[in-house]
Amino acid sequence: MEKKFFQTSIKDSLFTGLIALALFGPIVGLRTVAKNEVLEVHPKWFIVLIIVIVCAVGRFLTNLYVYNRDQKTGIQSSIGKSISNFLDTKGYQIALTAIIFSVIFPFLPFTDRYLMDIAIMMLTYIMLGWGLNIVIGLAGLLDLGYVAFYAVGAYSYALFAIHFGWSFWICLPIAGIFAAMFGVLLGFPVLRLRGDYLAIVTLAFGEMIRILLLNWYQLTKGPDGLTGIPRPSFFGLPFKSFPDEGEQTFHTFFGIEYDPMQRIIFLYYLILVLALITNLFTIKIRRLPIGRAWEALREDEIACKSLGVNPRNTKLTAFAIGAMFGGFAGSFFATRQAFISPESFTFIESAIIVAIVVLGGMGSQTGVVLATVFLIGLIEVFRDFESYRMIAFGGAMVLIMIFRPRGILATRKPTITLEKSSSK
Amino acid sequence: MSQKLLDVENLTMKFGGLVAIDNLSFSADKDKITSIIGPNGAGKTTVFNCLTGFYKATAGSMFLNKENERLNLRKFSDFKVAQKAGVARTFQNIRLFPQMSVLENLMVAQHNKLMDASGFTILGLFNSPSFVKKEKEAVEISKYWLDIIGLTHRADDDAGDLPYGDQRKLEIVRAMCINPHLLCLDEPAAGLNAKESAELNKLLLFIKNEKKTGILLIEHDMSVVMEISDHVVVLNYGKKIFQGSAKETKNSPEVIEAYLGTEE
Repeated sequence: MEKKFFQTSIKDSLFTGLIALALFGPIVGLRTVAKNEVLEVHPKWFIVLIIVIVCAVGRFLTNLYVYNRDQKTGIQSSIGKSISNFLDTKGYQIALTAIIFSVIFPFLPFTDRYLMDIAIMMLTYIMLGWGLNIVIGLAGLLDLGYVAFYAVGAYSYALFAIHFGWSFWICLPIAGIFAAMFGVLLGFPVLRLRGDYLAIVTLAFGEMIRILLLNWYQLTKGPDGLTGIPRPSFFGLPFKSFPDEGEQTFHTFFGIEYDPMQRIIFLYYLILVLALITNLFTIKIRRLPIGRAWEALREDEIACKSLGVNPRNTKLTAFAIGAMFGGFAGSFFATRQAFISPESFTFIESAIIVAIVVLGGMGSQTGVVLATVFLIGLIEVFRDFESYRMIAFGGAMVLIMIFRPRGILATRKPTITLEKSSSK
Repeated sequence: MSQKLLDVENLTMKFGGLVAIDNLSFSADKDKITSIIGPNGAGKTTVFNCLTGFYKATAGSMFLNKENERLNLRKFSDFKVAQKAGVARTFQNIRLFPQMSVLENLMVAQHNKLMDASGFTILGLFNSPSFVKKEKEAVEISKYWLDIIGLTHRADDDAGDLPYGDQRKLEIVRAMCINPHLLCLDEPAAGLNAKESAELNKLLLFIKNEKKTGILLIEHDMSVVMEISDHVVVLNYGKKIFQGSAKETKNSPEVIEAYLGTEE
């Protein structure tokens, strides 16, 4: 038995070596160099050999030490189980610690401009993830064009702020309403679609919005983008180093030195508050009849109809509310960047947000945070190794899917329990 | 003569050239159990799908008589039959919300009522007292039904984790939670053992006698049909071949022929 296993392992690893040779031979081995306007092939067989050996030996070792174990699945799921157990029992404390940490984060000694920028970016993705979680996690509608609403929010904020000079707090709800309207617009034609078909249509919708922004030059300035978007002010007090004559700015009003970090810190708290509002709203609405209907719709649409739940309205509200938060996040993005162009709203953004929701565990709010920190953090750590970033990103997704096929946090808590409501 | 709860007249349903239901007329009484039986493919489930708005009938009429109004069921499309007319149904292959808890399943059934109470979510967001009260009432109603089927202790477990027989019962009480006038059950005894079938009979009789709800029942399990039906309609190839009491049905030569074939 043992010997036979050894033999099959060797066979298997030789085969792996062959596959590696077939793959890496042409990709790595045949390097073309332009010399005197002629392309020359410089073969690099030594490197290929090393790669093939590493792959074969690696396969052999995993065969021996990983797949040979009977308790393989035991180890995998026990790690995941202990994580989710920990998060389940201590969920409240962890959430509280995380919130306190994010509140004091800007004033920690090691926090610098670079970390703040990453934190702001992460919070933006967390907010987008929470918004999309309503559509994908609760209502079960796979939306691959979520970035469209982000774009609608950003552009409507920018256009209103530039042309009418309205302040951030007026433009923010307008941007949300616009995005929600586009959510309903997308919702109507896809009411009857589910799963793969829905994914394709939403993907197309995302691209349509981007191409529209690219070509409607009169309104959006096309590929040139919109510049000069007003920066947010602290309740009317702008962040400026040299105030105009007689103008109150943030630092003159509080009588402190001007520091460019002040604006960054303000932006940080702004997105933190927006994200937390998204989270609280989602937690609350999940326990309301509409939230329960979303989840029921995800589980079985026909059963929903037989109980008199209106699937059309239920789906449209999910699209609209999800889109609204995307729009809020978009207007934050616009005011932070002060410049937006269709470049920022490509499909890869949608893909990252969907990845965050799926890897986090569909419907799990904490999962979204973990997945964002993990994925965006990883992209940042690999910033210096530009060409390996996407490999690391993809590798991380594969790892999560191997160890936690249903996402980092896949446990679902009932929205209402009998013990609680009867003991009240 | 007391008014019938449900009047189906000349109902016809065609799929292309296939006539699934051919000129079917029957009626169902309030607080009576009416069974629809027949061999496989006789069109029983199609009748249900027409009644509950999942199919649009080709021809014919279906009327539901409430205390003081007569509703034409053909006017309602899918979910409105349950919402406006109060016709609830269950499915041949159980359709619960498997990843939601047992209690949540029953709460979804009370969606429309709660949705109004939550002021289309806005009042609910701020925990308005009227909504909290309505929600508590809905939980009480759910608890009442769970007590009846003996599943109160599992209220917070996922519905998909329940044993098969309990899932059947849960689906029936979930349909009852919309407070229907007519309850349409599609093979509720399929896959149940003798003990569970007996419990099902008890539950259906309770709904009929205590809740005064009319029941329309599709069933293959004759022990259930014969024991609790007040009235039996027999279909074959989309046509009604017999109707009468359970005892009459058992002895009817047409029915025996449809099920067992003719002697050569």
